[in-house]
Amino acid sequence: MKTLTEQISDVIRDEPVAVFMKGTPQMVMCGNSHRALQALHAAGAPITTVDVLPDPRIRQELSAISGWPTIPQVFVKGELVGGADITEELHASGELQQKLDSALGADRAQDVKVVALELA
Amino acid sequence: MVEDTIRALLTEAFPGAVELSVEDRTGTGDHFQVTVVSSAFDGVSLIDQHRRVNEVLARPLADGSIHELRIKTKGTT
Repeated sequence: MKTLTEQISDVIRDEPVAVFMKGTPQMVMCGNSHRALQALHAAGAPITTVDVLPDPRIRQELSAISGWPTIPQVFVKGELVGGADITEELHASGELQQKLDSALGADRAQDVKVVALELA
Repeated sequence: MVEDTIRALLTEAFPGAVELSVEDRTGTGDHFQVTVVSSAFDGVSLIDQHRRVNEVLARPLADGSIHELRIKTKGTT
């Protein structure tokens, strides 16, 4: 089995848009995670989410990788975009959509996917 | 109080800030909105502006005294 750090790195690297959040899109457990999802959805992003709540180590390992202390964390094509505030701000200015267009193409799919990490 | 700690840390880190405010968003002393407008952010990308604020507030973020943090930053140009 891959380590937690490896699994998190895989999601960041492989998913077009990865969101590490509290809860799932069906059951969001935090206002900031909700704000990030709303902005991404409005900008027409495909969204892959990872719930950090099942184990505190997920958040620890994630922050060690990203250098970002808070949740949610949004990555586009492996690059940290930021948390809820930046995601909202970039959406309001139109930059989020531009970023998604240039990274993923304008005719991208908008699937929503949930990844559950394997915990040892 | 956490609010005072946050204000002190930010004031120390951004002494020439044009605007610097800390708001207790929920009145519960652990959900904060901080706003910093400073020339220190001129030419700095938004994500790196937020990184600097996160670094300044690393201790209260790590020890759990900040439960939720909203950040608004801007340069002066």
